[in-house]
Amino acid sequence: MASIQGNWADAYRDKWKWDKTTWGTHCVDCYPSNCPYHVYVRDGRVIREEPAGDFQTIEPGVPDMNPAGCQKGASWSQMLYGKERVLHPLRRAGERGEGRWERISWDEALTDIADAMLDAIEESGVESIVRIGTPAEGGTQSMALSGGVLDRIGVTSTDVQSEINDFNPGLYATFGRFDPAASNDDWFHSDLLLIWANNPAYSAIPFYHYVAEARYNGAEVVTIAPDYNPSAIHGDYFVPVRIGSDAALALSMCRVIVDEGLVNESFVREQTDLALLVRTDNARFLRQCDLEEGGSESIFHLFDQHSGRIVEAPRTLDLGALAPALDGSFRATLADGVEVEVAPAFTHLRHRLEDYSPEDASVMCGVHPENIRELARKVASRRTHILLGWTTGKAYHGDLMERSMCLLLALTGNWGKQGAGIRSWAVGMFDGQFILRDKPRSGQEATREIVAGQQAMIDAMLAEDPTATKEIIIAEMSYAGALPINAVPSAFFWYHHCGYREAWNNAGWGDPSMKRTFDEYVDEAVEKGWWQGSATQAAQAPPRVLFEIGGNLLRRQRGGQRMLLEHLWPKLRMIVSVDWRMSTTGLHSDIVLPAAQHYEKPNFPYTTPDVMNLTFSDRAVEPQGESRSEWQITLALAKKLTERAKARDLVEIRNGNGERVRLDRLYEEISFDGALADDDAVIDEIIRDSAVMGTIPADTTLESLREKGWVRFIDWGLSPMALAQASDLSPNETHSPFRWQTEKKEPFPTLTRRAQFYIDHEWFLEAGEELPVHKEAPAQGGDHPFQITSGHPRWSVNSMNSTSSIILGTIRGEPVAHINDGDAAARGIENGQSMRVFNDLASVVVQARVTPAVQPGQLVMYNGFEPYQFKGWQDFSNVEPGMVKWLHLAGGYGHLRYRALHWQPVPIDRAVRVDIERAS
Amino acid sequence: MGTITESKRQLAWVFDLNKCIGCQTCSVACKVLWPQQDPGTEQMWWMTVNTKPGRGTPRDWEAMGGGYDAHGKLVLGKVPTPEEIGGGWDFNYDEVLRGGRGSDVHLHKTSGAKSWGMNWDEDEGAGEFPNAYYFYLPRLCNHCTRPACVEACPKDAIFKREEDGLVLRDEDRCEGAQRCSSACPYKKIYFNSARGVSQHCIGCFPRIEQRVAPACVRQCPGRAAFIGFLDDEDSAVAKLVKKWKVALPLHPESGTEPNVYYVPPLSPAPLREDGSFDESGDRIPPSYLESLFGPGVHAVLKSLRAELDKKRRGLDSEVLDTLILYRWKDALGHLDRDPAEIVWN
Ligand code: SF4
Ligand code: SF4
Ligand code: SF4
Repeated sequence: MASIQGNWADAYRDKWKWDKTTWGTHCVDCYPSNCPYHVYVRDGRVIREEPAGDFQTIEPGVPDMNPAGCQKGASWSQMLYGKERVLHPLRRAGERGEGRWERISWDEALTDIADAMLDAIEESGVESIVRIGTPAEGGTQSMALSGGVLDRIGVTSTDVQSEINDFNPGLYATFGRFDPAASNDDWFHSDLLLIWANNPAYSAIPFYHYVAEARYNGAEVVTIAPDYNPSAIHGDYFVPVRIGSDAALALSMCRVIVDEGLVNESFVREQTDLALLVRTDNARFLRQCDLEEGGSESIFHLFDQHSGRIVEAPRTLDLGALAPALDGSFRATLADGVEVEVAPAFTHLRHRLEDYSPEDASVMCGVHPENIRELARKVASRRTHILLGWTTGKAYHGDLMERSMCLLLALTGNWGKQGAGIRSWAVGMFDGQFILRDKPRSGQEATREIVAGQQAMIDAMLAEDPTATKEIIIAEMSYAGALPINAVPSAFFWYHHCGYREAWNNAGWGDPSMKRTFDEYVDEAVEKGWWQGSATQAAQAPPRVLFEIGGNLLRRQRGGQRMLLEHLWPKLRMIVSVDWRMSTTGLHSDIVLPAAQHYEKPNFPYTTPDVMNLTFSDRAVEPQGESRSEWQITLALAKKLTERAKARDLVEIRNGNGERVRLDRLYEEISFDGALADDDAVIDEIIRDSAVMGTIPADTTLESLREKGWVRFIDWGLSPMALAQASDLSPNETHSPFRWQTEKKEPFPTLTRRAQFYIDHEWFLEAGEELPVHKEAPAQGGDHPFQITSGHPRWSVNSMNSTSSIILGTIRGEPVAHINDGDAAARGIENGQSMRVFNDLASVVVQARVTPAVQPGQLVMYNGFEPYQFKGWQDFSNVEPGMVKWLHLAGGYGHLRYRALHWQPVPIDRAVRVDIERAS
Repeated sequence: MGTITESKRQLAWVFDLNKCIGCQTCSVACKVLWPQQDPGTEQMWWMTVNTKPGRGTPRDWEAMGGGYDAHGKLVLGKVPTPEEIGGGWDFNYDEVLRGGRGSDVHLHKTSGAKSWGMNWDEDEGAGEFPNAYYFYLPRLCNHCTRPACVEACPKDAIFKREEDGLVLRDEDRCEGAQRCSSACPYKKIYFNSARGVSQHCIGCFPRIEQRVAPACVRQCPGRAAFIGFLDDEDSAVAKLVKKWKVALPLHPESGTEPNVYYVPPLSPAPLREDGSFDESGDRIPPSYLESLFGPGVHAVLKSLRAELDKKRRGLDSEVLDTLILYRWKDALGHLDRDPAEIVWN
């Protein structure tokens, strides 16, 4: 039917043709990612990519996930050949950060690195080698495989959660897990979607459509944000909230729900701790150890209205015939015979909510009292999902915002069913990649042995405490450091080595409710043993060698290059960046190793419940130049390290725990005597292991994935974040977390085994945060009139795409910050002009985007630009002091203990204060 | 002067502005696919998405004229200048990354327009906080039924393809007179100075010939884009445009009878002076929408609200079910073939 003819027409027809296609995706931290693409190759070059569009319908009546992709995905192939690409090992030939390079061979590069590592080990121990926990690449190659040598010899590895801070401390404090992650299609089941502290039109481009489609299906969409952001435009209501006052809004909605008798009481009794009795004299829970000598500290009490007696609370959510009181005042006789008054936590909550009448809250949060009432009634009567972003965790009192939101859901029975809940993120299910380094030998027999061992351990622990769950046991193992990720809470690293101590002790920038200095809290926390073990030990070793693999810490770090270049860099003898592009961190490194890009190696992105698939990305073309996959880099480093160690007779070292580590067979150990030395071999092994572990169908192999591209997970496996989903993984239903709690009455992994709103930790009582409360954000950066909010950009995954020339063409070609039109006019700043943004710390120059969509007093600076895209490389992180909330040093309390990726102090970058003027 | 022929069938695009999130995936997909990075094409974006209200791309294109007057007479307007089109930037990568000058230099544009780009006024909009308003408007060649460009071309190089109504340019015949560009009221025609020809969206005709949807439609992650024949009753496009009449052309007053249609944007309730919701108020001024989509827009918005109300009361709505797009392939009409299946020989 080619009716038109001519050279011009044939040229276009020819332009579209290709020789072959492979499966591809972007194994990066664009979360939830997993968009299956076809990569089109012609004459040995990747010419383009396009979504496969072959997702199947999961649940009848729910839209499919097709086509899934974004503008970055649509132009990834262009970055493969971009000018920011690194193609050869480079050694710094000038000062750090000067951008003067000497091209060297792999052998020279690895020799330099290995020698620097061995020097550091000899001088200060292996903990003086630091691997920055980084998510930027987020793929199996950079996350799991690149750690081969470093993890094995016991280097310090900073906790990725604090590096990036995508933590939800308030969710964690409430649920003992921070990571409910409904599958994206579950949004379609909601009757009310609250887009809160989130901008999915930017941050979830492939899946935003479920918001629009849920609305077309009858849901109402409400956006709660300071600015009229791009996600707000398709909602039914936009609720402009004052920056940092979200907790006041949520608590006021709770107050309305309580006042108007809309509380779902049976849900509250069953799922939460609000029926647990609290002593009036000391504000602590009434514990078994209060009532009997030698009693347990983790048995709590209820007042049963049937029997009219105080009874022990069950350790699961199954209340049986109990009818716990939510209100009232009762008397309990302590072990020493003294009688004390006790009242359910709910009674305390009522008192707390007295401060949040809609009229009072309106003053705090700027939302009209009637709007608060209407919203509260909507939540109380509808299946509600809070589409929370990762903004709250980055706010100083974000934990309080999140706890208040969770309370709103608790009072209205809004979790543990489709279309309800609150959103965070989770990775997991692809268990083969976690088990690899524990295997004594390659092959699936070894995997079966390990699985059997794990199962026996779980069974034994369940026999010991039949009220526990697999999740609780795995979490306990993780607290005990028994799981393979051996991470150090970064806060201690920054405190000791990166100069943050001064800022964190700056009383003006911290929380006014702090009764002591930050130092005093640190000392007490360490003294009490709350951060025992590797956390404090490793943090004290002097950093000498630093690896940043696929990440860009000089872009990401709160507090900015300023802090790191000033305080950390001079201590480092060797900085190694492994990347396929030249980042700001690369520019400040001593050696840059060229990694293969996403279409040049077999790989997988993070696997997430949001999409629920294992998505394969293949080697469409050979790595360009001299670049290599991370697995090949790891193996080459292993060989070189052994060679150089032998040369100086250093074949055995001790790690931080005093265990012996041998350096003479590193390559053999890591590659399983060469059996898995090939990229395809190791990837196939991980796939087969995952199949043995039951998370993907038994017949899944590298070959089957090369054919089909992706496969849906069939089970959760044993990773903590997957088990935290706490719902059956069904082949034909959307996933909604916490159904094991509502349907099977399984306990939450918290101290009280219930969703915990009352936290009687001594520090929480000291802070007045035993219950959710609204607190104003401290004046971080000084007393200035503007507050910076920021967030995930539309146009880049972290900083990866921000220098892509095609992507730059879709924006202004340079960074901009968004300022309200009235504010700009008052300062004589016109759209497109430069403005100077400054505070007590630094001054940054950026182009102004002037818009009425931004709230007066707000400055929106989306993340992701490279510092080297700003004048003098001064980006916005430099005006952030990078505070952490002191209360997050609390530990030694049920679930408030450190385990990798979970409870720990995380850095703050929201609501930093600045002033703005027109730049000359 | 070229002559407009009638096509047997007409392909049409529909963009649902209540789903479009301005992600530019459509624009990027098009730019990567077709030769829009070759010398002479730096500024070309056959597909663009702009924030409205806004000056758009080319800057202030709506004031540049073209199309037909009330008497059906061709009107020649302005040819946009490179500065008005904007973009076309290259950057000093080498200097920054390998130049040895450290932080003395930062990455910046070394060529192209100084004051504009294809998406310069992204997310700005109009109104006053908290009642600011904006939405996204994806635009490509409208493959008009009365294409002014065809009539204006002195070389008769532009034609409507018989079998599907695509407006295509015989680039071998085009001599770069740019009369098409001055006649096009949508200013979706670019000039390739390296080749001395004009170029515009080719409707992905090589894909369509293989029963594959255009890249801009097939890659749209917002599931906001639909394509199909207007006379194919089973296609979502025909249902939205012809049956339920909820999709309207942009600037119908241009007289060119465009074949790209838009489901007009709803918007959140505005806030009253005291901050309470004004449920019956309009955030986007209806007059503004009328200036874009004609007077028919009011009825469409009313019917969309009525359908939403039905859904909220638990009743069925065929219109909304079509827009929900339970099966994504239903957006693609007869063009639902997976391109990766094709084996070229
Ligand atoms: S970058 Fe992420 S969101 Fe975009 S297409 Fe790739 S995997 Fe999908
Ligand atoms: S790809 Fe779709 S959602 Fe994105 S801008 Fe284009 S039309 Fe809108
Ligand atoms: S139809 Fe094809 S050529 Fe035209 S704008 Fe869409 S992608 Fe580009």
